[in-house]
Amino acid sequence: MSAVLTAAGFPEEQVRHRARNGEAAVFPSLESYGTGLLGAAPAAHYPYDLLERARIVPPVFMPERLKKLIDLAREPLYTDVELDTVIGGFTSRLPLYVSAFGSTRVASRDLGEAAGRQAGRLGIPMVVGENVVPVNGYRASSGSGVSPLLGRIAAYTAAAGEEYGGVVVQQSTEDADAEVWNLVYSDPVSEPLLASGRLAFELKVGQGAKPGLGGLTVLGREAAGRVAEQYATDAVFGADTDAVLRISSPGTFTEEILRQQIRLMRNNFPRVRVWVKLHPGRDVALAAATAWAAGADSVTVDGAEGGTAWAPHAFLGQVGLPLGECLARIGPTGHCLLASGRMWEGGRATKALALGARAVGLGRAALLAVDEDADAGLVRLAESIALELRLLISSLGKYRANALDADDVLLPSGAAFASRTG
Amino acid sequence: MTSTIAAPDGRTAPSFPASPDAHLSAEPTRATLRVQSRMLAATRAFLTGQGFQELLPPVIGPVTDPGIRGSKQVDIDFYGHKYKLMTSAILYKQASLLAFDKIFYIAPNVRLEPLETAVTHRHLAEFHQIDVEIRDARRDDAMELAERLVAYVVAEVVREMPGDLELLGRDKDAFREVVRGAFGRTTHAAATADLVALGHPQDPGAEIDWEGEEILSAKSSRPFFVVDYPKGSRGFYDQEDAERRGVLRNFDLIAPEGYGELASGSEREHVYAALVTRMRETGENPAKYGWYLDLARRGIPASSGFGIGLERFTRYVTGRTAAWEASAYPKLPGVVSA
Repeated sequence: MSAVLTAAGFPEEQVRHRARNGEAAVFPSLESYGTGLLGAAPAAHYPYDLLERARIVPPVFMPERLKKLIDLAREPLYTDVELDTVIGGFTSRLPLYVSAFGSTRVASRDLGEAAGRQAGRLGIPMVVGENVVPVNGYRASSGSGVSPLLGRIAAYTAAAGEEYGGVVVQQSTEDADAEVWNLVYSDPVSEPLLASGRLAFELKVGQGAKPGLGGLTVLGREAAGRVAEQYATDAVFGADTDAVLRISSPGTFTEEILRQQIRLMRNNFPRVRVWVKLHPGRDVALAAATAWAAGADSVTVDGAEGGTAWAPHAFLGQVGLPLGECLARIGPTGHCLLASGRMWEGGRATKALALGARAVGLGRAALLAVDEDADAGLVRLAESIALELRLLISSLGKYRANALDADDVLLPSGAAFASRTG
Repeated sequence: MTSTIAAPDGRTAPSFPASPDAHLSAEPTRATLRVQSRMLAATRAFLTGQGFQELLPPVIGPVTDPGIRGSKQVDIDFYGHKYKLMTSAILYKQASLLAFDKIFYIAPNVRLEPLETAVTHRHLAEFHQIDVEIRDARRDDAMELAERLVAYVVAEVVREMPGDLELLGRDKDAFREVVRGAFGRTTHAAATADLVALGHPQDPGAEIDWEGEEILSAKSSRPFFVVDYPKGSRGFYDQEDAERRGVLRNFDLIAPEGYGELASGSEREHVYAALVTRMRETGENPAKYGWYLDLARRGIPASSGFGIGLERFTRYVTGRTAAWEASAYPKLPGVVSA
């Protein structure tokens, strides 16, 4: 068939792609499944990305630098900036943590364990996605090695010292049947972390890449049959392919349901810290306040730029608040607020910290780093970000990561007003 | 949180038996099991005398009580379907009221409790409950019945088993208030405040922790009820008080002398929409509870009920140090045994 018509200036190729592939065109190409790290459109195409458009604005007068000068009795340098902090009840060497990876083939066991080892060495917390269990099982059958979840926990524990970092295990209501938390809580593998207060459970309310939608993975038809009792599927890729979409819902939340789920976590698992992960919903400030009031040790906001997993184009390009807007809406808080979404360098991280985050999460950047070098890729990435953080924080006349505040960034005109009315 | 909790009266718990014969052939074990047998007979006599129908509880099912405080369920492969060993027969108790107005089970339960409970002297991975449910009853009805049942069973043992109590060194005077049915009452909020005042860090929004229960129990010379636990501390079937949101219409029965919790009960949630909402609040997937919710949608009766942990009850009556001493083949969390 030959095309006759043309439409310059119109997204012709996308329309033709849809015309050829129907429902499947709603998603990235199947060929990229298991290798592509998805996320929102590049920042340059993203006019609402406050973090990209904001500038870091050092003052002229720096009383904190004078204090540091007095402390040190010499000129303070960027190397004097202290980056250790407390993240969701854990002591961390850096204001960084490794975000949960999606359950698609992207986060294979090798990459997950490599990330765990390096996060342990770095002394920063690591979040493990709950889908690891319902998709891959909790305990591997004999002879096939350890399970992805236990493997990641064991790799982390073996590499970490006894003071810094911690492991955070996710569970969402859509995966409640897997009872991941119950399994982890009473497993001897967890005991070293429990004994040192370095285990947390994270209630996953939603995620940046697919706010409001819940987990999506692509399965072969045989695998889909195996999980048919737990998951629904949709044959959006056509009857002539082996691939089907495993679909779900992120769970039903109201203020009261969120409040009670957190209270139940605190009641049932008194030896762990309680984390909550929110998608970038328009009521994110109310949701975060609700979670803290119910006793959450930490609230993570996964901005619309976040995500490592499989997501439809429409969500990647058009759904959810950008991270900067989430931070602006939540505003300054004395609670532990964590932020993720396209974090890979120090400038964006510094702005997020200045807008109220205690630490920032590395998702795609961490996966790419361990994919590049399983032994030291993530360590080098984190070290590069740490250097930038020290340079930038020092330029602001401050010497601790948690000393930043909103005065340290200039938001685009109109942004603050939009935040107040949001 | 992993500290060993003191046994009643500060006694040291005996070490867990290395083999079943060492345990079974010990005279204190035999005396304890004789008392337990008498307690069961008395329970049956009392409840059937009150018009209760005894039913045999299910052992497996597609779903069971979700469990709290980190206890884990045991899955079995039921012809390709994931079934569970009962952690509590609560859902089946509610359903059984479609057939009879007042029912009870002597129900076996398996709960893989977290490892730290191996040292509380009160937790077993396998145990039994005297499970009671009363159609159209309110919480006070259930509490009154629990009080009369416990008083009756204790009185029966005191009267009929003096030799075994003496052999076990259990002072009958300890039961003077119990057999009169003179049980105390307090609220969760008051108990929590009491603990905090005593320097115990009790979260007012959570279940009273094991050490806290032990402290309250040790302070009392008679059994007492704790009522009005906060939502978030119990399962979805404990009804929320319509007049006081966030407060549950439930209770625990705490034994005196440091023996801790004997029983839990509540007025039950039975309205379909409320059950589904509460399930979501407790992180549950309603799809798991298919048969139960189908029944609830068609209508299950309002009820109240309770479950008395048989081994804990026996431990209290016989004055043994640990609950496992009241089991012929004890299973402690994380301990491999017969």
